[in-house]
Amino acid sequence: MLMPRKVKHRKQQRGRMSGMAKGGESINFGDYGIQALEPGWITARQIEAARIAMTRHVRRGGKVWIRVFPDKPVTEKPAETRMGSGKGNPEHWVAVVKPGRVLFELSGVDETLARGAMERAIQKLPIKARFVIRPGVGATPEVQV
Amino acid sequence: MAEITLVADPGRPAGSRESRRLRASGRIPAVIYGHGIAPIAVSVDARDLRAALGTEAGSRALLELHVGSDRHLAMARQLQRHPVRHTVTHVDFQVVRRDEVVSAEIPVVLVGEPVAVHRGDGLVDQEVQAITIKAKPADLPTSFEVDVSGLEIGGVVRFEDLKLPAGVECELEPDHVIAVGRPPRAHELGEEPAAEAASGAGEAAGGEAAGGEAAGGEAGGAASGRIGDAS
Repeated sequence: MLMPRKVKHRKQQRGRMSGMAKGGESINFGDYGIQALEPGWITARQIEAARIAMTRHVRRGGKVWIRVFPDKPVTEKPAETRMGSGKGNPEHWVAVVKPGRVLFELSGVDETLARGAMERAIQKLPIKARFVIRPGVGATPEVQV
Repeated sequence: MAEITLVADPGRPAGSRESRRLRASGRIPAVIYGHGIAPIAVSVDARDLRAALGTEAGSRALLELHVGSDRHLAMARQLQRHPVRHTVTHVDFQVVRRDEVVSAEIPVVLVGEPVAVHRGDGLVDQEVQAITIKAKPADLPTSFEVDVSGLEIGGVVRFEDLKLPAGVECELEPDHVIAVGRPPRAHELGEEPAAEAASGAGEAAGGEAAGGEAAGGEAGGAASGRIGDAS
């Protein structure tokens, strides 16, 4: 699973997820992508599950890019612990995602296979997401106005 | 390249609230600048803009902008889009001259069936999606077609293999890689279970967070290798 090698601070505040994605909202590497339609936290496990679902469906050929990285630690208090006595322990890592963000990209396969693979990957994610095609690929017009 | 006429309405009110109202009424806020003219805030009809940029030339189409009684030869330099709806929210028009060299990004399109690569279960990896070139507005090509039908696994299409039209310049190095014929991934050759086992075994409460994996498993080299570039 993805996680930072080293962090400056072990624990973070939760923060807000208002607004739209400010970058990474277009397909830059592959031909097809998964775009987030809702804000949310995506855990390293969910990213890995989505990637495995995609690569297993594609079987051969194809190249996958993961466009998000889980760099935010999430803490949890142990079960049956009284409140207080400080913040809990870091348990997992999440990527903060806003609407519009491209999460995965795929190339080297045809559209039908890519759509099938990415729809399986979307099932592994905790947010609404959709399959998108890079402008200029297949019948997609280069400029969409 | 044919010129397309587009009527731009000057004197649009500034500000995000007014721009939002403008978009709701079917117009798109835009700005015209370049060649020493003071920037002009204008608005264009969304349907006209779609027709103007929906031609084969795409966003590199030469436009004749009618702003009141003035005429400007311009190109759409930047299209700002809504991140989810992908509708255009703002356009930058740059005034150009016919005899002046401009820079533009031209998409690279792979054509042909790479039979040798597909026979070996390989993959054609397109490294460059678009090339920045310099040319006069009328000389800008719509796309660069790269024939990959003769590509083999381990083979490379370089920039020098592209035939640039006359009057087009590019600053890319001749040996810059455009496309590569890649061999099949390791786990497709029957190594997936082993790699997954290693991934499971590598799971450890490493570093600050519990439940982390020591290393990315299952042939994630290509994907994780790109993360740094992508994020």
